[in-house]
Amino acid sequence: MVRLTDDALAAARLIAEQRRPGVVVVDGEGRPVTVLPGSQVLRFSVPGYVQEDPSLARVYDEQGGADVCLRNLSGRSVKEVLPPEEKRYELPMVSGEATVLECAATMARLRTPLIVVSDDEEIHGVVTASHLLEVILNASEPRA
Amino acid sequence: MTVSQVLSVVVFVGAYVLIATERVHRVAAALGGAALMLALGLTDGETAFHSLDAGVDWNVVFLLLGMMIIVGVIKQTGLFEYLAIAAAKRAGGRPYAMLVMLVVITAVASAALDNVTTVLLIAPVTFLVCDRLGLNPIPFLIAEVMASNIGGTATLIGDPPNIIIASRSGLSFNDFLVHLAPFVVVLMAVFVVVCRWLFRDAFRYDEKRVAEVMALSEREAIRDRTLLVQSLVVLALVLTGFVLHSTLHVDPSVVALLGAGLLVLVSKVTTEQAIADVEWETLVFFMGLFVMVGALVKTGVIGEVSRALADAVGGEPLLAVMALLVISALLSAIVDNIPYVATMSPIVGELVAAQGGTPQAESLWWSLALGADLGGNATAVGASANVVVLGLAARNGTPISFWQFTRYGIVVAGLSILLAAPYLWLRYFLLA
Repeated sequence: MVRLTDDALAAARLIAEQRRPGVVVVDGEGRPVTVLPGSQVLRFSVPGYVQEDPSLARVYDEQGGADVCLRNLSGRSVKEVLPPEEKRYELPMVSGEATVLECAATMARLRTPLIVVSDDEEIHGVVTASHLLEVILNASEPRA
Repeated sequence: MTVSQVLSVVVFVGAYVLIATERVHRVAAALGGAALMLALGLTDGETAFHSLDAGVDWNVVFLLLGMMIIVGVIKQTGLFEYLAIAAAKRAGGRPYAMLVMLVVITAVASAALDNVTTVLLIAPVTFLVCDRLGLNPIPFLIAEVMASNIGGTATLIGDPPNIIIASRSGLSFNDFLVHLAPFVVVLMAVFVVVCRWLFRDAFRYDEKRVAEVMALSEREAIRDRTLLVQSLVVLALVLTGFVLHSTLHVDPSVVALLGAGLLVLVSKVTTEQAIADVEWETLVFFMGLFVMVGALVKTGVIGEVSRALADAVGGEPLLAVMALLVISALLSAIVDNIPYVATMSPIVGELVAAQGGTPQAESLWWSLALGADLGGNATAVGASANVVVLGLAARNGTPISFWQFTRYGIVVAGLSILLAAPYLWLRYFLLA
């Protein structure tokens, strides 16, 4: 989890080093606000002009490409990296009682790579898409 | 005035106001106006679709379609990105030298391609080189879009108003080259010098960051070398066809369609990719406009306006040329120049005919083209390319306000008209 005011670069490092699909963003009181997927971090770090004209991505060498992405993230907060509020992802959340299918349905509907498990503002943890798939596949194995 | 004349003027003015104020989409306004003209019997299907004088000008529609297909394919080659990065490197990262090269590339490209496409291609690479050098991209973008509007004035295919003028007047591609291109070259030279003063605060840079530009590899921007060669060969053939069209007795629209067909045939581009960049909305907008203006012709409104204007300036052709230049520039600064030129073309055609079609009378066409094309630089909404660049700048986090653009635009458009007036006077009156 990261806070809205945390450094965006630190959030990117957390996603990269722990190989997570994204992180849950919480407000000052620790309440979950939204999910920051790795794809959104990339979207923010890749310059808009390269997204407009993808052929420009090829004119950078690897070091130059990494530098330009880092430059866009440095000095930014997590809040700045998030999409504007009206376009922000709905918080994917289920209660601790939710079944595997409920989790899967919520993730599919919101197209999110992770989901927050929470009751009464208390966060129990996070379920990732890969972990959920692992549970589903293992559950079906004995009958296969 | 007859009832049909009053009705046609009311429908036309209503649609024009909707287009100018953008209260409804311009295509809806033009099509709605055309539908009303047909429904009220102010024009008919035969006239609207088959009349050369009062119907849809299919030469304009198909010339635009052909060029849009060709441009859509060229866009996929990465040629512009290559040229712009190579120019920035050749300029050694020095901002003013870079700006000069970028505006010259933009102006030359705009003479052969449409202005909106040109700025769409040049803007992203401008952001890139400015980002590398830590420069504010806004002065570069404003200079480029103005260069695009100036460069587009030089040729028959450079700006949609010129296409309309060519079709209505019967003037050839070479006529535009001979009458407008020399002036545009001079204007570009003046513009480049003026940019040094206009954007003087934008040229401070950190020399240490030049290495970041020099590290860019322009060759990697070329996505498909074979397609690049094919596109350039076809473009060269099309331009040759335009130059020779009056000798070969082939309309420019046919040349453009043949070029588009040839390019799709010889390249591996799919039909879907080839037509992906066709602006169907623009083509439909043109059709609606032509039907509306055609109704004004059919009901005799255009004829009456032309006669009134001819009476007003009958003995003074120079006054007519200067008035048309200034009025066209002023109106094009605040409303879309395409409907303006579509409306004025039949009027100017009748004025030229009334004056016996002399070179002095024909200079009315050049006055209309220069006023309408160059007046678009005056404000942020004066030309489609201006609006597109403002949108791109906002999306990239460097918004350009209306007044930020306009304070430069008024200087450049004003200067352009101040230079165009003596050019028209010298060439068509004093030295004629």
